[in-house]
Amino acid sequence: MDWTAAHAGFVTASYVLSFIFIAGLMAYVLLRDRRVKRALLEMEKEKP
Amino acid sequence: MQQFANPTRFLKLANAALPYIWIITLALFAVGLYGALGTAPADYQQGETVRIMFVHVPAAWAAMMVYSIMALASAMAIIFRHPLADVAAKTAAPIGAVFCFLALATGSLWGKPMWGAWWVWDARLTSMFVLMLLYVGYIAIWQAIEEPSRAAMVARIVALVGFINIPIIKFSVEWWNSLHQPASVFRIGGPTIDRSMLWPLLVMGLAYTFLFLALHLVSMRSELGARKMRNLLIARGGRS
Repeated sequence: MDWTAAHAGFVTASYVLSFIFIAGLMAYVLLRDRRVKRALLEMEKEKP
Repeated sequence: MQQFANPTRFLKLANAALPYIWIITLALFAVGLYGALGTAPADYQQGETVRIMFVHVPAAWAAMMVYSIMALASAMAIIFRHPLADVAAKTAAPIGAVFCFLALATGSLWGKPMWGAWWVWDARLTSMFVLMLLYVGYIAIWQAIEEPSRAAMVARIVALVGFINIPIIKFSVEWWNSLHQPASVFRIGGPTIDRSMLWPLLVMGLAYTFLFLALHLVSMRSELGARKMRNLLIARGGRS
């Protein structure tokens, strides 16, 4: 990849945008999973 | 598929498979990005801009695949009343929506230097935009309808009716005059892309597929947990 080539900024923007959205999606999914797991454990510990 | 109908059995299998799926995903991204940014040559016409293809095309493939899975799961929910089918369809939608957005956004970033426009109402672009609207509509149904069984019924219909858009996206470049280039990988007669560009594209396609698989299994696990919590709350509320 020649980073000084014409339109290299568009290529960089595409990869950065993809990285940001995929990282955001992963964070959202994994954090929700952790939150639900913790809440469920607490609920199951509690005596009904 | 019926043997995975038991959520406990499904969770056991998913928890065992997830570490391996994450490792394969990371390895595929590492190899795919090395090929995309390292070894693949610049195109003789497009120059370095061709490298956008390695994130744009896999995102578009993944967006179409995820919607097809949602439609299949919805059909299974209606026909077989598979207990995990609605969970699978519901949790796939946000992941597919992100892939669809990325396909549109990176396509726009490719379109500006190549076509001179960020957006044109071309058949392929418009049908992908319709797919984005279908994703948003599907997610909105689950958010808007409070009663889960009613939301599931409406969502199944939307997923199945919307599936008609998938072949329209695929064949839009053949059925109508389009600025978008025709199929160059999955076509009768074989791929027209040079091997040096084809392998990174296929590896990136696999990377997006495995990423979806990993995120989908985690999302399904969360959704099953959330449903269990809701049932526990209802049971406790009923007793008091």
